[in-house]
Amino acid sequence: MRRKLFIASSMSAALAGCGAIGTKLNDNQTFHSVLSSAEDLNLRVIGTHGLAREYSPADLSADFPINSFDTPSDALYTRLVRSAFRPYQMVVDGMVDHPQYLSLAQLAAMPQTAQITRHDCVEGWSAIAQWSGVALRDLLALAGPRPGAQFVVFHTFDRDSSGVPYYESLNMAQAMHPQALLALRQNGVAIPPDRGAPVRLKVPTQLGYKSAKWVRHIEIVASMAHIFSGQGGYWEDQGYEWYAGI
Amino acid sequence: MQTGKVVYRHSAIMRLTHWLFVISFLALVSTGLQIFNAAPYLDASDKTTPARRVLEISAPSQGVGTTTVFGRTLKTTGWLGWTDDGMGGKTGRAFPGWITIPSYQDLADGRRWHLFFAWIMVFCGVAYIVWGARRHDLRELVLRPSDIPKLLPMQLYYFRLRKEPPAHGKYNPLQKMAYTLVLFVFAPLIVLSGLALSPSFDAAVPWITTMFGGRQFARLWHFVLMIALCGFFAMHVMLVATTGLRNHITSMITGRYKLGAHDGVGV
Repeated sequence: MRRKLFIASSMSAALAGCGAIGTKLNDNQTFHSVLSSAEDLNLRVIGTHGLAREYSPADLSADFPINSFDTPSDALYTRLVRSAFRPYQMVVDGMVDHPQYLSLAQLAAMPQTAQITRHDCVEGWSAIAQWSGVALRDLLALAGPRPGAQFVVFHTFDRDSSGVPYYESLNMAQAMHPQALLALRQNGVAIPPDRGAPVRLKVPTQLGYKSAKWVRHIEIVASMAHIFSGQGGYWEDQGYEWYAGI
Repeated sequence: MQTGKVVYRHSAIMRLTHWLFVISFLALVSTGLQIFNAAPYLDASDKTTPARRVLEISAPSQGVGTTTVFGRTLKTTGWLGWTDDGMGGKTGRAFPGWITIPSYQDLADGRRWHLFFAWIMVFCGVAYIVWGARRHDLRELVLRPSDIPKLLPMQLYYFRLRKEPPAHGKYNPLQKMAYTLVLFVFAPLIVLSGLALSPSFDAAVPWITTMFGGRQFARLWHFVLMIALCGFFAMHVMLVATTGLRNHITSMITGRYKLGAHDGVGV
């Protein structure tokens, strides 16, 4: 009996010891960059192939969670909400032949596509909604990316509590994916301010943090090194993977 | 019986993959619990569906931790729900800081570790099986049809309802069943159920997620398989510890096993 107690206690001590060693190792830069090498492997092996599954209206989540910073409350966004987004302009620029400046009415006049897809959060939960709007590739085709363009960066009205801007990015292949959508409507109604009005991104093949809300400016670039901390997104700058396919 | 004689038992590849497997298993469990903590509930469904909740660990109020399994709630303050925050305090957190990597709540780093060691585990598992099959090391480990009638007598022996175990080789029939399940059923399923959580993998190979009953259900499978593998791990360590701990550990490091009282016994 004493022996069993000894085994049980040494097993839990081993586990706790692993936790302590792990926490120490986690702070080691070299070790951390070795861990991060798996991201490139996942991008190469899993990548972005096929189409995210599409659902029927019966599958819609009754209660789609709101999981973001507070609705923007700066003067500009407040004014846009008050004027029903009439002065809103979506800017598409950077490495393009024809920069675009599109009002909400112009976006709504473009061909609309709809999808009922599952939103998979990095935290682990999933929810299903219908999204409709402009296929990102249609907008990119209007702007005409120049040779050498590598990434599509999404700038937003969104800020964290310390004022750091939320932004996201996709590579050209992900941005040209047929389901990558600039959504104007969720479950048939115009996206409300607390869910990213007037335009949010929806990328069903990637974890939810890629699907930036409150998008206002799309910048096509060859490198993201000069943008904020250079990792290609707000959460990426905080240590999350740029490849959010897994 | 040639007590004291030293035999070469484990090849270098087997020893290396064994220890890498141990490290990656411990890292995967503790970072998996870290990841679980970000959404501490499991649903038997595709999308998150509270009506189909199987497990939920929460802190309904300050200082109280509860665990709800199939609708039955247990108070688990200090162990689950309201636990060690990894920084010297207590907080509303499903699994405690002493068992997660990092000890404090950090989903981003937990994921980095998990997705790295998942690859190490897959490489080791494949190397172990391919190498073991080539060298015929797996022959005595895999359950065969002739072992099946011996399963019940072996269990009766363990329950002390039978004086002698049925005749067997290095591994008894229950051990063979455990190894066969772990290597060829649980390990592949835990990898596939993990991949089923990936939205890009789901887009590329949708039938895998469907096979597990959807994304949230795959998360439940992933968790249950982890518990099963932990059970195997505990039994394995128990057998190692009770049949010559030092001898087994030495043989898994140097390859050399000293014959003695537990000769024929594999762990």
